[in-house]
Amino acid sequence: MGLLTDPSSGQGKLVKSLLKYHPKICALVCLGGVIWFCALACPQMNANTYFSENALLPGLVKSQFHEDRAASTFHDELVDEMKKYEDSLPYPWLLAKFKQLGLDAYVHNFTLYSPLGTGEKYSGQNVYGILRAARTSSTEALVLSVPYRPPSSVHAPTTASIAIMLAFAKFANKEKYWAKDLIFLITEHEQLGIQAWLEAYHGVTCGNDNVLDHGDLKGRAGAIQAAVNLEIHNTRIGQMDIKIEGLNGQLPNLDLVNLALKMCTKEGLYHTFKNKGPEYHRDPIKEWKYHFRNLLAMAATQATGIPNGNHGLFHRFGIQALTMEGFEQSKARGSSKVGFLSIGRIIEGTFRSLNNLLERFHQSFFFYLLSSPDRYVSIGLYMPSVCLIAGALFIKSCAKWFKFQQDSSQETPDESQASDGKDIEPVKVDKIIIVFLFTHFLGVVLMNSPQYIIEISDHYNYNIQTSIFYTLIGLSVTFLLLPFMVPFRRCERSVNAFSILAMLELGTALICTSMNNFSLGMFCAVMSVPLALLINPTTCRYYSVLQRMLWLLAHPLVVLVAVVLANTYMMFPNESFKEKVYRSLDASQQAVIYSIVDSMIYGNWLFSVVTSIFIPNWLCFWCVAFSSTMPKNKVTDEKKRN
Amino acid sequence: MMSKTYKMNKIISCIFYLLILTIKLARTTSETFTEELLIKPLYSEQLYAHFQFTTKWDVDPSTENFNHTRIFPRALGELLKRYNIQELHVSLTGGLWRYENWGYPVTDAAPGAEVWAWFKRDTPDVDQNWKRLANSLSGLLCASLNFVDSSNSISPEFTFQPRGVTNLSSINNKYLRYASLPREVVCTENLTPWKKLLPCGSKSGLASLLNSGYIHNTRYHSVALHLRPVCRDDSCESLALELQQSVSLVYDYLILGSRNWSLRKLFGQGVAKSCPLASRSEIFVDTTVSSTHSFELNPPPDEVVTSIRGGHESTFAKYKESQSIAVLSPPPLHANQYLTGYGQERGGIVTKIFNNHWGNLDVVLLQNIPWYVPVYLHTLKVVTNGVENNPVALRYIPGRQRERAYYLEVLLKLPPKSTTAVSIDFDYVFLKWQEYPPDANHGFYIGSAVVSTNLPLARNFTGLPQDGSTLADSFNASRSGYLVQVRTEIMVITLPTPDFSMPYNVICLACTVVALAFGPLHNITTRRLTLKPKPSEKLFVKLKRGLTEFLQK
Repeated sequence: MGLLTDPSSGQGKLVKSLLKYHPKICALVCLGGVIWFCALACPQMNANTYFSENALLPGLVKSQFHEDRAASTFHDELVDEMKKYEDSLPYPWLLAKFKQLGLDAYVHNFTLYSPLGTGEKYSGQNVYGILRAARTSSTEALVLSVPYRPPSSVHAPTTASIAIMLAFAKFANKEKYWAKDLIFLITEHEQLGIQAWLEAYHGVTCGNDNVLDHGDLKGRAGAIQAAVNLEIHNTRIGQMDIKIEGLNGQLPNLDLVNLALKMCTKEGLYHTFKNKGPEYHRDPIKEWKYHFRNLLAMAATQATGIPNGNHGLFHRFGIQALTMEGFEQSKARGSSKVGFLSIGRIIEGTFRSLNNLLERFHQSFFFYLLSSPDRYVSIGLYMPSVCLIAGALFIKSCAKWFKFQQDSSQETPDESQASDGKDIEPVKVDKIIIVFLFTHFLGVVLMNSPQYIIEISDHYNYNIQTSIFYTLIGLSVTFLLLPFMVPFRRCERSVNAFSILAMLELGTALICTSMNNFSLGMFCAVMSVPLALLINPTTCRYYSVLQRMLWLLAHPLVVLVAVVLANTYMMFPNESFKEKVYRSLDASQQAVIYSIVDSMIYGNWLFSVVTSIFIPNWLCFWCVAFSSTMPKNKVTDEKKRN
Repeated sequence: MMSKTYKMNKIISCIFYLLILTIKLARTTSETFTEELLIKPLYSEQLYAHFQFTTKWDVDPSTENFNHTRIFPRALGELLKRYNIQELHVSLTGGLWRYENWGYPVTDAAPGAEVWAWFKRDTPDVDQNWKRLANSLSGLLCASLNFVDSSNSISPEFTFQPRGVTNLSSINNKYLRYASLPREVVCTENLTPWKKLLPCGSKSGLASLLNSGYIHNTRYHSVALHLRPVCRDDSCESLALELQQSVSLVYDYLILGSRNWSLRKLFGQGVAKSCPLASRSEIFVDTTVSSTHSFELNPPPDEVVTSIRGGHESTFAKYKESQSIAVLSPPPLHANQYLTGYGQERGGIVTKIFNNHWGNLDVVLLQNIPWYVPVYLHTLKVVTNGVENNPVALRYIPGRQRERAYYLEVLLKLPPKSTTAVSIDFDYVFLKWQEYPPDANHGFYIGSAVVSTNLPLARNFTGLPQDGSTLADSFNASRSGYLVQVRTEIMVITLPTPDFSMPYNVICLACTVVALAFGPLHNITTRRLTLKPKPSEKLFVKLKRGLTEFLQK
């Protein structure tokens, strides 16, 4: 290492070869990262899942649940009851049922003040019952939650899951082995209800203040250890899908996922992940394809950072949670449907296993990718792929740094000999730092702009959604003019130093992002790194234009529109091009608005990270791409002529 | 001859003295033992059974040396003498008493183990006596009370006043110690030694009902021991020593399987005979609830009770009606405690106190917070129905890491029909790696808060009056106030916990590396290197030699 850092001996073998081959090395490393990611789907790179926590003892007890008749009765009653309530929770009925079963029943009220615009107010109600465990004193709890969907809801109904939940509560309350309180939670308004309930349970606000008023809870049951969200769409189901991706790409402990899948296997129910059950192929290509498709499907969901079920909001609070979604139709050939008895036994098995837990989930994996329901890729195996891609940036910046030092060490003796030192411009460190900070300041402005836009457009009675979207576009376009304000864009050395800074930032940001949300980090890396590597201060006019065009493609807004457009093409292949463009523009507007609203209500950090880190960094590279430097030899030639 | 008569006289006088002494002893050591059982169907779907065994010994606890006892357990007497104890209260509890649904128990107890004691004023080193007492109790009751020391004990000023006879002017909380072990799991091993303290053991009397196989199938079970000096008679001129041993059980009809209960169903057997040493053996059944949940006692309670049965006399339709939710009026005061916040940086403890009474209530909230939960007094907030409520008095002693617990006592005036939230924030701290328990990821416990008040009316109240020692004393005992001490839930928090499997992996890896490195290193360092001249042979000679060697083989 001393060899690398000592400037006087900067001409080591390693440095020389780095300076000579760094474009090839970068390309190779970058490609290596992508190949590594693709190779994760090979059976050699992923492993069979296993239970790491011995205390779970999954499925070792004999199932005793036999309240399937009660479940059918509850189902019929609830269907009748729901007719009386157009679009709200039949909470008197639910409360009465909980109390009859001997649970402590409570209602939780919450209010949402629309984050877009003032005045609009939505209120909702959750109902929950707590089964007080006989063995302990309410120190720990498990949650079984169901989102309530009125008949007018666009989503698939969950009446059956409420029925089976009540039947399970009836069964469980007679048992004396519970060591953790069971909370049976029925929420309203999909994710909003569960977010409000969790915030109230923990007495915190996750999003902006004065947006979601989470109210207060009358009953609590200690630290929640795990949660299962149940969405059974029919009284008889043929397939159980496990959903795990949570807010900001957080995942539940792999042991919990295994547990749920194991229980389904035990009851002979066809279980799937990403709508695909376990498949076994002899052909290695087919096998790779199957695993790769699942990996990509999971990565796509995880990268958005939006939970794909109510379970996703538990993760932030350190509660392991997943959604079990039961479909009537099964994709498997020859699979049979199961009724309330088996569903109840799956729930019983899961909760009795969770009840066995002595410590909270800490074994097994929290960071993983699933390539099929029973195979996983651990963090140790997938991180190298993104590290390799981001590593290309570090290698290039390293090479640039050596080049930089080489130049300065060569030029210093020249400087003393030269009569006028004006031709060698010193690096303008202060200006570089100012520009760097200024781009990030712009990012912060962008991040906070929606709040001000809302106030202004509310004042002038504009449509808030469109005004936010077009203001963001307008601001982004305005920011494109930034390079013309950069004071050092004619000084090659300063531009080079600036590009080193930008590359280091991008590399660090990518690795940090992928530590939290691998899929997002990987996606950003694949999109931006190859293009970022191409950007150099150049004298060739065509190359300069080309790199500007290419870099424009990597702008987060452009990427968003492109992804939405591609999605629209796949979803609606029959429409005309014009319609598709309009539709995708509309959809991207919705996507931007939703990401802003999500950050305000749930504390989703996608919008904040993109606006405060990725866009400023993009602007830095943009400045580098616009630098118009004179080639050095040209300068010296001119000097000679003079 | 003279000497003989003298001797005789001496012997006679000796015998005479002895006689007087024994008569005196017999008179001073009059011990009475009563055993009682209260069975109370609660308004919710539960049944409350409370055993009360009281031993009263007419002896002055300050002068008695406890060398000879008849009914009173000598083991306890020795503790009393050795550690200079004035009062001792120990309870071992599993489950949580649900005040909101069940009303008030006869004796309050926090989940886990709870112990508090008043020492006499002439005790030189209270802390040392307290530690030794806890260790002795740990052996006596087979509980982990040996973990009690000055780092988790506090001396509350208001909450735990002496329960027995005391000189009011001389109360100084310097001589009081209180500690709770919320993590303690209470089981048979605690019940068996506790039963041995009873004069009849578990062989006869009501104690024979205490079969651990049955009483641990309850929603709540609490074993307690209360020792205090009381007045010998109404004139209160001399002292007596009183020992109350109690067991509280809450059965659930759902777990029992039906609402028809009998002693046999609850305890596995009926009462064979009463304890011959007991002056009274009585069973009381609270029939107040029978208006809403009708039941009938069989045989009638004025007879010798061998089995009690409750059955529904109504038709099926009526039964259903009676099963409809009875209006459950919550007790005048109950409290909850919970944690706020998430992550492992900052958190908060909130204690919610509900006053359902129509008048003001003065309450004392006591928090005993372990040293690994550093709380900040400036974050203390008391909010009643959304309005800030200034405490009447506040006592706070900040804790010190590994030495002293945080002690917080707040005196509050609760307005009628109000909910008060007392919140305080804390930081999560790192512990030393040896301070984590074997199941480090289970979390760390914070004991329950104690909310004390004098209730003006006795709705839902079953406790004993301060001047009474038996359940029979609590009937028609109207007083100006009824002391309740509500215990809240215990809480478990997750402190930042290192991955303990990682050091193990590191050790394994390091050992492998060392083992792999050791071989070559040992080889290199111990081998003697000698200079050997390189034979400068020609290729042909080499080949020839090799060939001959090969052929020789």
